[in-house]
Amino acid sequence: MSPAKSVVISCAGIGSRLGLGLTKALVQINGRSLISWQLELFKDVEDLRIVIGFQANDIIEEVRKYRDDVTFVFNHRYFETKTGASFFLGARHANEFVLEWDGDLLVHPDDVKMILATEGEFLCYSEKTSDDAVFVKVDEEDNVLSFSREYGDYEWTGPACMCKKHLTYSSQNVFNMFEPLLPMKGIKVRAYDIDTYDDYQRVSSIVKDW
Amino acid sequence: MKFLFDLDGTVTSQETLPVIANHFGISKEMEELTKQTVQGNIPFVESFIRRVNILGDLPVSEVDNLLGQVPLYPLLHQFIQEHLENCAVITGNLDCWCKQLNAKVGCQAFCSHAIVEDDRVVKLEKILRKEVVVDHFRSLGETVVFVGDGNNDLEAMRHANFSIAVGLTHNPAKSLLSIVDYIFYNEKALCRQLSQLL
Repeated sequence: MSPAKSVVISCAGIGSRLGLGLTKALVQINGRSLISWQLELFKDVEDLRIVIGFQANDIIEEVRKYRDDVTFVFNHRYFETKTGASFFLGARHANEFVLEWDGDLLVHPDDVKMILATEGEFLCYSEKTSDDAVFVKVDEEDNVLSFSREYGDYEWTGPACMCKKHLTYSSQNVFNMFEPLLPMKGIKVRAYDIDTYDDYQRVSSIVKDW
Repeated sequence: MKFLFDLDGTVTSQETLPVIANHFGISKEMEELTKQTVQGNIPFVESFIRRVNILGDLPVSEVDNLLGQVPLYPLLHQFIQEHLENCAVITGNLDCWCKQLNAKVGCQAFCSHAIVEDDRVVKLEKILRKEVVVDHFRSLGETVVFVGDGNNDLEAMRHANFSIAVGLTHNPAKSLLSIVDYIFYNEKALCRQLSQLL
């Protein structure tokens, strides 16, 4: 049996759009850091890999309050690169299947369990909640056909599960890495990005019920 | 694939110099020097020469016996034992002090070298520059992974294909955080990554 999938959380960015002066992993959601919410969701994942760059020391310190057995992966070029680079660096020496997870993404705990239990490659999307987003077009069997900045059936939020051999380096967004691989199996989830201050307030309200 | 390991505090779960210093009652002097060196405040070569001057009068066989008893990280030691051809330890320590310890680790070892007469160090002959060993293996076509924790591992890490900082015994030198690919604070997680790299 092959080992369980690795999970790569990309936390290297500077969180400039949120405007709270902190890398997003350290932003407080109802009294707890965003990364601590994610650590709770992934507490049973053995190979948990956190990609760090901006405020790396602070993230390490925060994560180690909860667990010590995390693989910290550095993206030293976090200022010039996007999530594609962080995901590649986090995944290149991981297990065969790797779950890509943006550091600013929270997903309903029941959906996280389903995602972790689902085998093979897939992309996750959610209902549209933002105008400033990337959208996906899907077919009647939920397969993702394309990404678009202009239109689509759902909002691309991630996560995505990929076989390591299909990944090539990209300094761009993580969805750019997946475009050549379309169509791919799609799964609809309850996922919430925290890109802007409005997102932040919305997610703070949603997680009260978790 | 070649895994090159710093020895002190990376493969051993205790730093070796304090062990020697405690045993021979010269702790205070050595502690300060070691601390300043690990933090990068005193260049490694200067620190090493000063250490050898302090420790050189001690009986070599007694130091060797003492270091032979220093505990190793068990899972990491097991990984090395299972992949002897892929592993080597790289230490600035003198070869004459580390014979038993290196034998216990089991893989190839690269050390600094001194001439010994009448069980005493009489002349420091070669101070190991770790990056030279990295370059050697790379010139043979090996992909080199360097694993260490101290400021004196910095150049070797720069020269390696991949570098791993470890915070098992103490926090790694801050200087390493701007160049390493990975950092680990847990032995099991470190060994998992080594296996994934194979």
